[in-house]
Amino acid sequence: MVTRERVEAVLERVRPFLQADGGDIELLEVQGNSAKVRLTGMCAGCPSAHMTLYMGVEMALREEIREFEELHVV
Amino acid sequence: MRTPPAFSLDSVVVGRSARMRGVFDFIRVISDSASTVLVTGESGTGKEVIANVVHHGSPRRHQPFVAVSCALFSENLIETELFGHERGAFTGAIRDRQGRFELAQGGTIFLDDIDDVPLSVQVKLLRVLQNRTVERVGGTRTLDIDVRVIAGSKRDLRVLVKDGKFREDLYYRLNVLPVVLPPLRERREDILLLMDHFLARYFRERGLELPEIATPVRQAFLQYPWPGNVRELENACERIAQTCQCGTVRVGCVASSVLFNGDGRAPAESELTAEPSVPALSLDERLREVEAGLISWALKVSTGNKSKAAELLRVKRSTLGDRINRCGLGDGAPAGESSDDDAAAVAS
Repeated sequence: MVTRERVEAVLERVRPFLQADGGDIELLEVQGNSAKVRLTGMCAGCPSAHMTLYMGVEMALREEIREFEELHVV
Repeated sequence: MRTPPAFSLDSVVVGRSARMRGVFDFIRVISDSASTVLVTGESGTGKEVIANVVHHGSPRRHQPFVAVSCALFSENLIETELFGHERGAFTGAIRDRQGRFELAQGGTIFLDDIDDVPLSVQVKLLRVLQNRTVERVGGTRTLDIDVRVIAGSKRDLRVLVKDGKFREDLYYRLNVLPVVLPPLRERREDILLLMDHFLARYFRERGLELPEIATPVRQAFLQYPWPGNVRELENACERIAQTCQCGTVRVGCVASSVLFNGDGRAPAESELTAEPSVPALSLDERLREVEAGLISWALKVSTGNKSKAAELLRVKRSTLGDRINRCGLGDGAPAGESSDDDAAAVAS
């Protein structure tokens, strides 16, 4: 099952880099097998940062949690 | 598609690692010679750059440099690619075609991925290297060729020889002047240097000055293992330069693979805020490494004959003796395989 804890554990892998750069990635909600996150800080409005995190986080989530389906970055 | 810029020696980054400096010192020594060079290194370590450096530092620099990847062609095609063919040699051979060896006449040929050459073609390659002549496929004429050969391999050919996948005689024919390029993970002190170099280049291509680079970005680069070596690092920099829009290179610009596949260890706060440390460099130690590398090379080329080695290095026989002792090369094999000492890798 996709739980907040498991998603948070994956986000923790990238969070230190983001926080060091004055930003963060926030887990807004887990719904079924999908999750919604928000990017904050300097990179928040940057399309390439969205692509980076969308791809990176979703791939990492699918690797760690087999049943994971979709990531929404808002 | 972007065409790669013409090769220029000025665009080559040597790096600060002792191994890379050793490689470039060795290249300076061998550039004048016409002997065969075998460059071994993982994919992306810069074998072709090294081949270019050797060629452009040699008396053949105004002659052609022809690079060919032996992995690109099927067993039949590689022969016509290397040696050429005559009209009518096979179906579809509608006219004569020069092979790569002929095209490199007077210059240098870089045979990359030599470890992918099938055994049947290895025999033919050996003949070419031994006789310095080629025959086009389907032809009867024998053409003399004056070409310096540089071979590139991503695998250790000695292992392939042991496994029966590579001809021993061809290996010895190629392994006259061995250059071994270290993977990027074994010369981490060069990561930031290469990063600055490539970022500056790709931002310049966009007509932009190199923007500020946030420290966590450097940290991510330092932590990532770079399995694709310098090539992968170059691509990561190109990506950043193409996508960065906010005037500062931030974590969000970095490829997700670099951010997520580091060692998984969260960087300590102090590591992220401190400027990346630059390791100190001992001149004496560096000089000793270079000296030991050159002496090993001379002893190897002269098959252990110290008088000949002294001649090659233009020192007195007695001086060489002293230096051999000083470098701790005294006892044992005449410099054996010094593959780990004369390692290299690069960026262009």
